[in-house]
Amino acid sequence: MSEAVRDVVHEVITEILPTVPADRISGRQHLRDLGADSVDRVEIILGVRERLGLAEPLASFSDLRDIDHLVAFLTELGAR
Amino acid sequence: MNVGIEALNTYCGVARIAVPALFAGRGLDPARLDNLMMSEKSVALPFEDPVTHAVNAAKPIVDALDPAERDRIELVVTSSESGVDYSKSIASYVHEHLGLSRRCRVFEVKQACYAATGALQLACGYLAAGVSPGAKALVIATDVSLVDEGAAYTEPAMGTGSAALLLSDRPHVLALDLGASGSHSYETLDSARPTPTFDIADADRSLFAYLDCLTNSFRDYSDKVSGVDFATTFAGLAMHTPFAGIVRAAHRKLAREHRIPDIAEDFARRVAPALEYPSRVGNLCSGSVYLALASLIDHLRPTAPVRVGLYSYGSGCASEFYSGVVDAGSTAAVGRMRIGEQLAARCELTFDEYKNLVAENATCLVPVADKSIDPDRHAGVLDRVGARRTLLACTGVTGYHRKYDWITVGAA
Repeated sequence: MSEAVRDVVHEVITEILPTVPADRISGRQHLRDLGADSVDRVEIILGVRERLGLAEPLASFSDLRDIDHLVAFLTELGAR
Repeated sequence: MNVGIEALNTYCGVARIAVPALFAGRGLDPARLDNLMMSEKSVALPFEDPVTHAVNAAKPIVDALDPAERDRIELVVTSSESGVDYSKSIASYVHEHLGLSRRCRVFEVKQACYAATGALQLACGYLAAGVSPGAKALVIATDVSLVDEGAAYTEPAMGTGSAALLLSDRPHVLALDLGASGSHSYETLDSARPTPTFDIADADRSLFAYLDCLTNSFRDYSDKVSGVDFATTFAGLAMHTPFAGIVRAAHRKLAREHRIPDIAEDFARRVAPALEYPSRVGNLCSGSVYLALASLIDHLRPTAPVRVGLYSYGSGCASEFYSGVVDAGSTAAVGRMRIGEQLAARCELTFDEYKNLVAENATCLVPVADKSIDPDRHAGVLDRVGARRTLLACTGVTGYHRKYDWITVGAA
């Protein structure tokens, strides 16, 4: 499950940040480290939420440490 | 009873800096300009404070009233996150320098960028109750910016200034849909001003809260008002604008949720007109949504009655979606304030001039027993203001009492 979620996260990131090569995305990075500004980060979270069919409030995504944390949180939401 | 906004004016300073120049001066990444969607920001001068901003926004409204009408202003509320004293309100100074009747309720409210909307709703409820037929209320949102280079990309987004709203049973600018409002509020620390010298902000927490609250306050509005359709009910939308780019993202979110087929067209037609002024001024805090409303009316230029939606959000957090009706009278009433001309007349600062002013403005809200401020020291900027106008200026503090005087600025 978490690999499928990671694929979706990477897919959305590369759509919102087309200049970031997919192989440059590491789980230990924050979206900020990839050059995502605050609007990009909103679009990325909205994109993965929509693609995974989740209705979780955006506020729940306020404390993400890095992309691994985002994937783990999305995986947990999907299992609920 | 028909109540709402009789007159609306803004004061957005007499100086500005181009946002690309600020980016260059601070070494910020120009690739971020697209999502910021800001072209200029207003900059205060060191003799300006929340009191002068408020008076300078409200004075043209009050001056347009005859003495009998002026005496019907029975309520003056200032909303601000830039308080000048823990006890004494900005409103007390504003009431004095606008020369209003002493038979008046005077106080100040605070709830970050939402506060003016809370005050407007309570004041309109009072007016609609009819306990004082013909009464008017003045709600004035007023704030100063304290951000410097430490705020990074927030610095270009923060404006300075005030929005003044005269409320009455003659709502020439916006006839409020009484009772048609939705709220969504909860405790969070997304941004705050813990001391008189700096702000704290958590960008993700704040923007996520802003967007969650938009969806939820609109849902509450729709639950209370029958037949609401996001796509067709509103001819225009004025939203709290921390920076124009987030309003574009907010519209996109709501448009997807309501299955708008052509989101870009919808944005250009119903939202972009409300961003013209905010993208030239920056965030006015609780006045921001009313600068957006002025922009919407000045650029939509309604000729027949149409409904507009307003979204107000304040960190902390509190939010509200509400609506009202604008028409040809709104176009005339807002147009009389010549807001676009006043923005164009602001003196354009160099980056070095801007940097020096930011350093001086940093102590604007710090309480001191005594100080003297000489507006003439800024003649080099004031002489470059494109339109001659009379403004209230802070000339100093004596025994913690702020002192004010009228000055004339602009080329003769």
